[in-house]
Amino acid sequence: MSFALRDKVMLLVAVLLAAIYLFPLYWMYVTAIKTGSAMFASPPSFWPSDPQWGIYGFVWESRNVGRYLWNSLVIASGAVSLIVVLGTGCAYVLARYRNVWVDIGLFLILMLQVLPASLMITPIFVGFSQLGLLDYPRVAVVLAIAAKSMPFFVVLVRATFMSVPMELEEAALVDGNSRFGAFFHIVLPLARNGILVSAILIFMQAFGEFVYSKSMIQAIEYQPASVGLNSFMGPNTNEWNNIMAYAAMYVTPILAIFVLLQRRIVSGLTSGALK
Amino acid sequence: MTTHQIELAGVNKYYGAYHALRDINLKIRKGSFVALVGPSGCGKSTLLRSLAGLETISAGDLVIAGARMNGVPPRKRDLAMVFQSYALYPHMTVEENLTYSLRMRGVGKAEARRKAEEVAATTGLSNLLGRYPRELSGGQRQRVAMSRAIIRNPKAFLFDEPLSNLDAALRVHMRKEIRALHDRLGATSVYVTHDQIEAMTMADHVVVMRQGVIEQQGAPLELYDRPANQFVAGFIGSPAMNFVPARAGADGQSLVLDLDPPQTLQSPKPVAAGRALTVGIRPEHLQLSGEADAALRLPVGSVESTGAATYVTTATQPELVIVLNSRVTIRPGEMLPLHFDPSHLHLFDKETQVRLA
Amino acid sequence: MRKLLLSVSDGRGFDIGLVSVPLAFLFAMAGLPLIYNIVMSFQEVDMFSLGTFARPFVGFKNYITLFSLPETWPILRNTAVFVIASIAGQFTIGFALALFFWTGFPGSSWLRGLFLVSWVMPGLVVGAIWNWILSGDFGVLNYILREVGLVSGNIFWRSDPDFSLWAVVIANIWLGISFNMILLSVGLSAISRDLYEAAELDGANVVQRFFTITLPMMRSTIGAIIALGLIFTLQQFDLFAAITAGGPNNSSNVAQYWAWDMSFRQYDFAQGATISVIMIVFVMIASVVYVRSTRHEVRG
Repeated sequence: MSFALRDKVMLLVAVLLAAIYLFPLYWMYVTAIKTGSAMFASPPSFWPSDPQWGIYGFVWESRNVGRYLWNSLVIASGAVSLIVVLGTGCAYVLARYRNVWVDIGLFLILMLQVLPASLMITPIFVGFSQLGLLDYPRVAVVLAIAAKSMPFFVVLVRATFMSVPMELEEAALVDGNSRFGAFFHIVLPLARNGILVSAILIFMQAFGEFVYSKSMIQAIEYQPASVGLNSFMGPNTNEWNNIMAYAAMYVTPILAIFVLLQRRIVSGLTSGALK
Repeated sequence: MTTHQIELAGVNKYYGAYHALRDINLKIRKGSFVALVGPSGCGKSTLLRSLAGLETISAGDLVIAGARMNGVPPRKRDLAMVFQSYALYPHMTVEENLTYSLRMRGVGKAEARRKAEEVAATTGLSNLLGRYPRELSGGQRQRVAMSRAIIRNPKAFLFDEPLSNLDAALRVHMRKEIRALHDRLGATSVYVTHDQIEAMTMADHVVVMRQGVIEQQGAPLELYDRPANQFVAGFIGSPAMNFVPARAGADGQSLVLDLDPPQTLQSPKPVAAGRALTVGIRPEHLQLSGEADAALRLPVGSVESTGAATYVTTATQPELVIVLNSRVTIRPGEMLPLHFDPSHLHLFDKETQVRLA
Repeated sequence: MRKLLLSVSDGRGFDIGLVSVPLAFLFAMAGLPLIYNIVMSFQEVDMFSLGTFARPFVGFKNYITLFSLPETWPILRNTAVFVIASIAGQFTIGFALALFFWTGFPGSSWLRGLFLVSWVMPGLVVGAIWNWILSGDFGVLNYILREVGLVSGNIFWRSDPDFSLWAVVIANIWLGISFNMILLSVGLSAISRDLYEAAELDGANVVQRFFTITLPMMRSTIGAIIALGLIFTLQQFDLFAAITAGGPNNSSNVAQYWAWDMSFRQYDFAQGATISVIMIVFVMIASVVYVRSTRHEVRG
C-alpha cells in the first residue's frame, strides 16, 4: 500500500474511532431536543424528526439553571483565584531550588494530591461545622476545593517555572532588582502561559465539582450546577430530555473553552503530569 | 557473477515534490571502503538510508550481492548500520545489545553468548559486557555500536556519521580503528561523513555529492589532483583551494588574473583566446620564490603562525590563502614573491564551473 | 525588625514566605482533616456531639463494628473489582489508541486531542449521560447490543444487581481512556526512532520490536500510569452518585461512596471516618508506588 493511501485509511479509521468515542456527547445533545415520545421510541432515532429547540429555554426557566451556573462560576472562580495566588509562589520556590527540603515538600504535596474528596469530606464537614464555616457554604466549598486542587496546580506550574532559565533572573538581580522585583517583573511574565493553562484546567475541574458542594451546601440558592443536576435525577426519573438539556447547558461552556485551547491544554498536561 | 557488492543504477528519490536523489549511479566493489561526502542536505544520508531500506526509492534499481532489493524490507537485506547516535538499546546490557540480532534470528543463548565474547575481544569490550550503555563513555559506546554490526557478519556495513559526536582527538584515533577493522574483516563499507578529511584518509573510493547529485567519484588522490568541477575542487582539501577570476590572453597562452593590479601567468595548456575562466590553486602549492623567478607578487594582508606552518592571507580581492611549511617572518603590507608547479594550476570555465579538459 | 522585612522582599525570607503560606494552608485544609479522620475513627460521634472536640474515646470499637457489618466484605470486593476492571479496560484501550495515533498520519495530533473531552467534563454530567445510555428499557446501549445480536433481551444495567457495578465500570472506562492515552503517548514518543530502525535492521519484525523495545522501555511510564489510574479510580465518586447511588442493595457500592453515604445519609460520621482511614492507607500505598516509579527513568 502506498503511503498516501495508508494515511487516508488511517485517517478514516481515526475519525470513526473518534465518532464512537464522542457518541455519548452527541447522544446528550440529541436527546435534549427530542420530544417525550421520541425519547422513548424503540428503536431510538439517531436524529429527531421533530427537534424541540425550545426546551433549552424551558429548562433554563423552570429549573433556574441560571442561578445554578452562577453558583458554579462563583465557586470555581473563587477556588482558582485562591489557588493561583497561593500556588504560584510556592511552585516558583520549589522550581528554583533543589535540596532535601524541596524534595520533602514535593513529596508531601504529591501525597496530598491523592486523597479522595469523598474520604476527606467527613472530617472537613465536621471541622467546618465546629468552626461555623458552614454558615458561609460557598466559602467553605471554595476552601475545600482549593486545598484539593492546589497540589496539582503546583506540580504543573513548577514545570513551567523550571523552563524559565535561571540566568534571566540572575541578570535581573544584577541589574538592581530585589528578589521580589525579579520574580514579579521578569519570571512571572515569562511563566504566564503555563500558569494560565494550569489555571484553566483547575477551573474546569472546580466547575464540575460535586462531593464537597453536595455535602456542605444545603441551601438551594447556593448550590452549583452539579448538585442541581443530581437533584434533578431521582431514582425513577424519566424526563430525560429535560435532564439532557440541563446537562448540555452545563457542559457546553466548558467544551467551548476546551475546543479553543485544546493544543495548549494538551501540552500543559503532558509536560507536568508525568514529572 | 559480479564483483560488485552493491550497485545503484539510475536511482531517484522524491519527497513529495522535492527531488532528493537525482540519477544516482554507483557501483561498490566487494571489500572496498566507500565514503559518501558532501555538505548538509546533499543527500548522502538519504542515499545511505535508501541502501538500508529505511527510505524507499522512487525510481531506479538497487542490487545487493546480485539480488534486486528495491521493495525488500530492511530486516531482510542483511546490512548492518552504525548510527550517528549509536542507537544502543538503553535497557539492555552490552552483551544483550550485541546478541539482539542473533536472538531475533533464533540463535541459541549459549551460541549467541560465545559469539558476543568473540567479537568483544576484537573490539576491546570484553570486560564491559555486563554494563549498560549509560555507564559507558562516548568512545566505548561507539565500539559497542560497531561490535553490534560486526557480530552479524553482514553483506555490507553502513556508517552514518559515526564519529560526529566524539571529540577531535578521539575522532582521529577511531578513524584508524574503523579502517583497520574494515581491513581485518575484509568487509564492504559505505561511510557517510561531512568531514572531507575523514573521507580522504579512510576511503578507497570517495563520492562527492551536492543537492542530490554525485558531483564526482573516484580515488581520494584523484579527486584532489583532478577535481571535475569547482565545487569538488573547493570541497576537497583544507584549507580550501583559492579561486581567482581570469581571462585567457589574446595569444591563447597566457592567463590574465583579475586582481588589482592584474597579473599575468603562463597557462599550463592552450586556451581559447579571451575565454572567461576561474583559476584555481591550492594554498599549499604556492611557494616562496626569489624575486627573479616569481610568477606572482601578492600583498600580504594577515599572517598567522602555528609554529610549524605559516598561514598568509593576501590583501587582494578575492583574498588568497597561502600555506608555507616553515616559519617565515613576513609582515602585513609586504609584497610576497611566489611561484608554483604549473601542473598545480586548475582551470575551470567561469560559467559552468567545469574543469577544462 | 528591618532586617526581617528586608529578608522578606529580598532574600531567604522571600522564598520561605512564598512557600510557607500555601503549605500552611494545605496543612490546615488537608493535613489536619487527615489527622482528624483518624481521631474521629477512634471516637463515638453522633448528631449531638458534632459540635465538640472532646468526644468519648472508644478505641477500636468502630473498626470492629465495621468489619462485623454484613455489607463490608461485599463492598470491599466491589471496590477491588471496580478498580481492576476499570484500570484493565482504560489501560488496554488507551494503549491501543496511543499506538494507533503514534503512527503519525496527517491529522493524528488534532484528532487525538478530541479524545480529551472526557477529562474536562464534570463527572456528574458524564454519569447522567451514561445513566441514560444504560437505561434498561430505553437506553441506546441495549438497543445496539440487541441489533448486533450480542444479547436477546434488555439488560437492566442500573437495577439488576448482577450488572449494576458493571454499569459504572463501563462509564468509568470511557472516562479514563483519555488520560491513559495521553500519558502513554508521551511515553511512546520518548523512545527515539533510531532504536526502532536499528532493531529493524537487526532483523526484528513489528511484533518483536513491540515486545523487545517498546514495552521494556515504557516500564516506568506504565508503572506510573497504573499507579495514577489506581489513585484516580479510588477517587471516583460522581459516577456512582449519578448512575446507581450504590444500589440496588449495595451491589454497586464501593468503599469511597460508602464512606460518604455513612456520614451524610446515615449520619454515622464515626463509621464514615473509619472507612475513610482504611481507604486512605490504600491510596497512600499507591501514591508511594507512583512517586517511586517516576524517579526511575530509563534514559535513551
